[in-house]
Amino acid sequence: MLSLWRNMTTQERRDAKTGYLALSPWMVGFVIFYAFPILATFYFSLTQWTLVDPPVWIGLDNYVRMFTRDPLFVSSLKATTLFVALSLPLKLVLGLMLALLLNLKIPGMNIFRTVFFIPAVISGVAVSLMWIWFLNPDTGVVNTLLHYVGVQGPYWFWDLNWALPSVAIMSIWKVGGAAIIYLAGLQNIPAHLYEAAEIDGAGKWRRFWRITLPLLTPTLFFQLIIELIDAFKIFTEAFVITKGGPLKATYFFLYYFYEEAFRNFNMGYASALALFLLVVIMGCTVFVYRTSGRWVYYEN
Amino acid sequence: MKLLFNRKTMTLISVLLLLIVSIGGAAAQDPVTITWWTLASAESPEPAIRAVVEAFEAEHPNIKIDVTIMAESAYGDLMNTTIGAGEGAPDIAYFWETPWLPHTLDITDRLEADPDLSRDDYFEEYFNNWAVYNDRVVGLPFTVGANFVMYNKDVFDDAGVDYPTADWTPWDYIEIAKALTDPDKRRWGGDRPRGPFRAIWRNIGATKPYSDDSTTVEGYINGPDAVAAYTWLWDLVDSGATPTPADIEVLGTEGTGPVDLFIAGRLGMATLNNGHMITAANAGVNFGVVPEPHVPGNERFVHAWALRASIWAGTEHPDEAYEFLSFWAGPEGQRINMEIGALMPSLPAVLEDYPDAEADYFQGFMGVLNATQTAEWRATHPCWRGAVIRAVSDAWDLIMLGEIARDEVQATLDAMVEPAQAALEECVPRLGG
Repeated sequence: MLSLWRNMTTQERRDAKTGYLALSPWMVGFVIFYAFPILATFYFSLTQWTLVDPPVWIGLDNYVRMFTRDPLFVSSLKATTLFVALSLPLKLVLGLMLALLLNLKIPGMNIFRTVFFIPAVISGVAVSLMWIWFLNPDTGVVNTLLHYVGVQGPYWFWDLNWALPSVAIMSIWKVGGAAIIYLAGLQNIPAHLYEAAEIDGAGKWRRFWRITLPLLTPTLFFQLIIELIDAFKIFTEAFVITKGGPLKATYFFLYYFYEEAFRNFNMGYASALALFLLVVIMGCTVFVYRTSGRWVYYEN
Repeated sequence: MKLLFNRKTMTLISVLLLLIVSIGGAAAQDPVTITWWTLASAESPEPAIRAVVEAFEAEHPNIKIDVTIMAESAYGDLMNTTIGAGEGAPDIAYFWETPWLPHTLDITDRLEADPDLSRDDYFEEYFNNWAVYNDRVVGLPFTVGANFVMYNKDVFDDAGVDYPTADWTPWDYIEIAKALTDPDKRRWGGDRPRGPFRAIWRNIGATKPYSDDSTTVEGYINGPDAVAAYTWLWDLVDSGATPTPADIEVLGTEGTGPVDLFIAGRLGMATLNNGHMITAANAGVNFGVVPEPHVPGNERFVHAWALRASIWAGTEHPDEAYEFLSFWAGPEGQRINMEIGALMPSLPAVLEDYPDAEADYFQGFMGVLNATQTAEWRATHPCWRGAVIRAVSDAWDLIMLGEIARDEVQATLDAMVEPAQAALEECVPRLGG
């Protein structure tokens, strides 16, 4: 590092200093708001701490409990993984489909784009309350429509088998946010590639598979990581609608964390849970990143 | 004899001395500032809070109150943070979480020495359960709250069913609910309880989820009394006379009870609270109030609560803080809140002056205030609320969803013993038993 610095010209050193200076607000923010809390969380995970009394050092006890004798850890992890497996493909595919529609050149498209994006910026609590009404078994819009076509709708959030899928279905409400990112990716694809393919006789479907999808993979890659992290952090729906039920079907990991930390005053154990989630998310992200070389195509 | 100082010097010294004395005197009379964190609600709205401060400061010119009215969502975090840090906590606040209680000032001696206020001025059950912790007086109970059954007289008259009386049993409740239920009118007879081991559980057989010494779950959570109570719940759900959890979730009010369904006449009976009672009265509903049903011969319990107004142990002004606490949570402060807001004071002498105190329904409410509270056990067993109830919630869900047969209740509760025992053993070393 030092030799690197010595080998720099005066101009390069000046540029480096300017660069570090420009980076410093972010670096300070990272240290204060991310690095220090993560390190503190690691320390607290080795303690028993009620929040209001001084933490008591208990070594690895919280981790031993988590991995050997905590059925709620297992059930919350299971519910969260199921949710990720259900919601992630749904959001990725529907987001892409919506983006393809929003990329059409028809009059008033900007209005459609705005309309589809608005749900992405509405508060999760407000959205949850709205979906309680949508999916009400007796008076909700969805079951009323199903009733008209002769189908008896389920109890949705209050049905053991439907509670988790209901939350997953609800998550597509915010698919407009993903669609806008895809749209940016779509608009970066050079038009001459489509023109050349059309001259060569490629149909719409073929152009999609051979041009759109490969050139959109960097955006897909980005979106996959963002949505993956977001899906693991599912909380508001459980907190507002289901309270983790019925029968812990929607007892998501972050909801469990919340209950341990702020209802059960078990901040030490909650810190261990938080760190575990961090490791899981990091592991999944690294896996996606490592495999991206096989399916992400960069034009340059 | 020559003077040590001349006249001019003596005058100057005298003036300086006078100045020093007067400045010192003024400093001694500087008002002490007491910080107060509180929440605004329908019972104690902001104008009532401001009026309390104004009235107190008029009576005590040497004490200033620095009040902060907080959002409930932020209150817990700020209390946790400041109490945990050991600095920055308010002199006076609601100390409602059990882990906060060791950080309250013991006011036992101050209250005993107080010529204007005594523990006997309060409803005994409320004082004992909400102001006393480990034999220390840790605060004063502010307001009273309780659950009871409200019944819609018009619905009863329409169905030709007699009004319930205080000696009714849990099984009477189911029969009456069935008689009131009318699918054609989209009307249910009664609601479902919102959690186990509340009043009806205790009324059926003094059922507790675990032993008093917080060591044993076996024989309690799955004991004969608990099985009887859960079987009663199974019968109620099976009767079809109650709204489903989905209906309650959508049509209930603020997660505390289906008062809107009750007011609309779609629910003949509902276990509600005094806030709901006033809402129904203001809506012009023709209703009555009875205690929750119980088994004759057993002690009657009520699920009740109060806000615990306390002084932070780290206060630098304990005497002044007590002055304000005893004003705010004493007769003057609670009366101001009753007159400006809708507070139901925890002092019988003040509550008797409530505007509707003579109404039948209000008398029914007054009747439950002296019953033994479920809080008597719950408040001294903090592991129930956070840890153990979560471990046994599957039994509740299975019954609510109609997933088990009536004769499977015992086996279901037996299956809860192991996770509940594990949760108890994990929690007690942390929060105490």
